[in-house]
Amino acid sequence: MVEYPEIDLFSSLDSPIHRFDPRAKIVAFLCLIFSVVLVQDLRLAFAGLLGSLAFLAASRLPLRFVSQHIKWVSFFIVPFLLILPFTVKGDEIFRFYALKMTYEGLEYGVLVALRAYSAVVLVLPVVATTRFDLTIKALDRLKVPNMLVQMLMFSYRYIFVFVVEFQRTWRAMEARGFKLRTSPSLYALRTVGKALGTLFVRSYERGERVYQALRSRGYTGTRNPKTLVEFKMQARDYALAVLIVGFAVALHAVSFVFARGV
Amino acid sequence: MKREAKRREAKKREVKKREVKKREAKKRKAEAVTVRDLSYTYPDGSKALEKVNMKVYEGERVVIVGPNGAGKTTFLLHLNGTLRGTGGEVKLFGRTLGEMKREEVVKEVGMVFQDPDDQLFMPTLFDDVAFGPINLGLQESEVRERVRKVLALLGLSGYEDRAPHHLSFGEKKKASLAAVLAMEPRVLVLDEPTANLDPRSRTELIGILNRLNEREGITMVIATHDVNAIPELADRIYALNRTVIESGTPWEIFFDGELLKKNNLDVPDVFKIFEVLQCFGFSCESLPLSLDEAVAGLTRTIETEGGHIHLHIHEHTHEGVERWRRKYEHH
Ligand SMILES: Nc1ncnc2c1ncn2[C@@H]1O[C@H](COP(=O)(O)OP(=O)(O)O)[C@@H](O)[C@H]1O
Ligand SMILES: [Mg+2]
Repeated sequence: MVEYPEIDLFSSLDSPIHRFDPRAKIVAFLCLIFSVVLVQDLRLAFAGLLGSLAFLAASRLPLRFVSQHIKWVSFFIVPFLLILPFTVKGDEIFRFYALKMTYEGLEYGVLVALRAYSAVVLVLPVVATTRFDLTIKALDRLKVPNMLVQMLMFSYRYIFVFVVEFQRTWRAMEARGFKLRTSPSLYALRTVGKALGTLFVRSYERGERVYQALRSRGYTGTRNPKTLVEFKMQARDYALAVLIVGFAVALHAVSFVFARGV
Repeated sequence: MKREAKRREAKKREVKKREVKKREAKKRKAEAVTVRDLSYTYPDGSKALEKVNMKVYEGERVVIVGPNGAGKTTFLLHLNGTLRGTGGEVKLFGRTLGEMKREEVVKEVGMVFQDPDDQLFMPTLFDDVAFGPINLGLQESEVRERVRKVLALLGLSGYEDRAPHHLSFGEKKKASLAAVLAMEPRVLVLDEPTANLDPRSRTELIGILNRLNEREGITMVIATHDVNAIPELADRIYALNRTVIESGTPWEIFFDGELLKKNNLDVPDVFKIFEVLQCFGFSCESLPLSLDEAVAGLTRTIETEGGHIHLHIHEHTHEGVERWRRKYEHH
């Protein structure tokens, strides 16, 4: 069977975060994400990460699912952690020939990593605890530009079609004895390029047909596609929103106090 | 015993008469779709249609047959103004399509595309079926009611929140029909509706279409090369290959061996089998085109021949079968 890249695979579980109104969820967590990435103090960044992990834990997403996603993002974060300590000027910790690790660099590297992980950790409870179509509809209700909503909606729909087509092409190539792993020759790469080209053309043609189908059912392109969905904020939603936004504000209020105190 | 058979015979004749009447009533009805001298050339210069003429009466089921690349899809896309002919005109219920507003056309003509993935563009089935009615400007409660009704009609109740990629091909096909039916069009245009369906889904879909035609009187224009489906789906056939080559009832088309041969048209398997049976001495009034007709025909023949049918190999059998074989060797 086909394996789909489903970010909302666990959206049908139950947790306080799952029950959170999608609109409030997006806004509140977005505030918190901004808050954690703007924190300047190492200790507060650490607190931010702990808080983020707490929210992630509250969402009861399976650990495997979480680690899978964090693993991918680590490819981008870890290099910073390795490079920054050696590139920022400051007090030397130790020296290895021309490489000089500085205290400031280390601190900055850790800070960047903490912030980045916090942000990633916070994205999961937002997008993985709501059916993705509901997330898009919530964005629409939040008055996100319609063009963006449409792009998200159609991309979300057709990414799956594309995946199926890609796998079909790939299997057809393999069925005729094509192997990339054992022979990454120029020939092999050229073949892959051609296959991708075909896929691209096919997607283009599909795009045209989809547009025809859209028009055939009254699509005009503006304020579209309209959807029917009922979101209703309850006391619980307000409470959770206040808690999250409160934490976001607190991170900065505390740093403000720190700055004053020092 | 004999009287019984006679009575049945009379009843059958009556049914047939009624059918003829029904067909004539249909003919008297208004023209739903009128196509006059329609030509279309794709921007790259390939001539897909040339002076196509067609009339579809209200409540009629018209099937368009033709080989791959004959221009069936291109033709259908003209029926709701997706493509505009480079010559000729299309009329809907007497009004020139080019002069109608887009919303009006979309409301009258429902188009079911061949590939359901092209047609199901929304993230959930509910959103997809609601898409058309919302665009028609209906009230929310009305939209919800239509979605509910149409999903129930197609046996898709409970699938509302499903994403299209979690539906089987047959379900997707039904879903795309549902999405179009929710707009309650007067004319339904279908491009290869039975293609790639498993036998059960295929039978189910044909049943659904015919029920819609009978109960709601929806006019249908269907492109297909599934010859076995034609007798069940067609009141009239147009054979298309860039232009209309022939038109007529299934009987008129399938019994004209010359015409079939000339245009590389195939006939239903049932028809072929009964042609072979004829070579073995089987005789009946008219060859059946569908399984239902086959059953009816066999019953009739057996009843009139005294309780059995008689097959045997006679001097012309071999020759007949050879001739039959050659008739269907197109290449
Ligand atoms: N987008 C297009 N651009 C150029 N030529 C096309 C396009 N679509 C179809 N054609 C050509 O038009 C002819 C009719 O195609 P089509 O209507 O798809 O036939 P059918 O549906 O009967 O198989 C074919 O020769 C095909 O190559
Ligand atoms: Mg076609």
